[in-house]
Amino acid sequence: MSDLAADVLAGKVAAGARAIRWLDDRDRRGQQLLRSIYAHTGRAHIVGITGPPGAGKSTLTDMIVAELRRRERRVGVIAIDPSSPFTGGAILGDRVRMARHTLDPGVFIRSIGTRGQAGGLSRSTHDAALVLDAMGYDMVIVETVGVGQDEIDVVNLAHSTIIVGVPGLGDEVQAVKAGLMEAGDLFVVNKADRDGYEATRRQFELMLHLREQSRAGNGWNAPLLRAVANRDEGGAEIVDALANHRAHLETSGGFGARSGRREREQALALLRDAILREIMEKGDEALLEDVEARRIDPYSAAQAMLARWREKERVTA
Amino acid sequence: MMDGYSERPIRVLLAKLGMDTHTVGVTIIAHALREAGMEVIFTGLKQTPEMVCAAAVQEDVDVVGISTLSAGHTRSLPKLARLLREAGAEYKLLVAGGVIPEEDKSLLTQAGFAKIFTMGADTREIVSYLQQWWAERQAAEAA
Repeated sequence: MSDLAADVLAGKVAAGARAIRWLDDRDRRGQQLLRSIYAHTGRAHIVGITGPPGAGKSTLTDMIVAELRRRERRVGVIAIDPSSPFTGGAILGDRVRMARHTLDPGVFIRSIGTRGQAGGLSRSTHDAALVLDAMGYDMVIVETVGVGQDEIDVVNLAHSTIIVGVPGLGDEVQAVKAGLMEAGDLFVVNKADRDGYEATRRQFELMLHLREQSRAGNGWNAPLLRAVANRDEGGAEIVDALANHRAHLETSGGFGARSGRREREQALALLRDAILREIMEKGDEALLEDVEARRIDPYSAAQAMLARWREKERVTA
Repeated sequence: MMDGYSERPIRVLLAKLGMDTHTVGVTIIAHALREAGMEVIFTGLKQTPEMVCAAAVQEDVDVVGISTLSAGHTRSLPKLARLLREAGAEYKLLVAGGVIPEEDKSLLTQAGFAKIFTMGADTREIVSYLQQWWAERQAAEAA
């Protein structure tokens, strides 16, 4: 085991930060390190926080961290913001809302850009969560990008997913995304002091009622909570609900099952990446330009690349 | 790379030390750096040297950029440089900008600041300075 891996397991911040950097940069050393610490992962409670922009996810995360610290739990936060698809750059500003925890040695906050990945997470989020897990944090909170409708990748990553709503976004926009209502474990209406809170709450209640009707004995009654995060209201109820959910998962076997499915998906994702890197060559850029110019269709192009690789394998075998 | 993403974008932490709340300058710089493909972590206002150091380590940034428009920089900036050294993070590039009198520049340079940008510096100058430094650093690591 390398020194850095040992330092990560000892909970050293600089080591964990460097490990996450390697994983984010897809530096080979990152995967090597992960393999050596992997046996020490699987303990932390991974919590996802997702919802539309303006819901106050960062402030809510900040409040949850404060409550966890009051209960002496150590917590890691991965705050994800979108990278520009044109320049690759990003402004990662979620830390600003969590500034009060900066000097607390029991809190580790890491800002990550999506770097081209869709779904609300970066490619490195899963691995970064494992590093924080191995460092000994009791809970790892993953705060997703809040852009549009598709940030449900977090559902596959987290043990518990919190869906955050906010009054005033309009009827259709929030709760009706079936995927979110299906997959969330806790629902929080933040900024509950705003006009329209009652109406928003009723929408969520209706959707949750429909969800309960259609579920076959899953056993978990997803709570609907209220919060005013910028006044530190609602944190205790949320943390209690998370503890209840964890207890439920542990008795039902779901804790291990969710972790297990996530690891399986990760293995497949890594395989896809590896295959792509293995098969693609410099010359393929020209082929892809032909696809963009519609000189060749994508189906034929993909077949051509595969056939070329197979031929190369045959010749060198 | 076939899309806009470099495997290793430069990570920059921007912070304001001291009590002033003017964010226009640092916001413009943040956007310029983002346009240049860098990841910018903004830690906010009223940061202390301790807070900036802690954040710089957690975020494993390459560059720490301080904006300062009020007095106190002759104490707080060298203190930040010292804290970073003590944390084993002296390899990070340390730069500052804002209202910094000419006569204080050599004190800051000696304390560990690689470059002080004068008020109103062109963002292109800042971007190319960072990119140049990064290119040299990459070349040195590859050697």
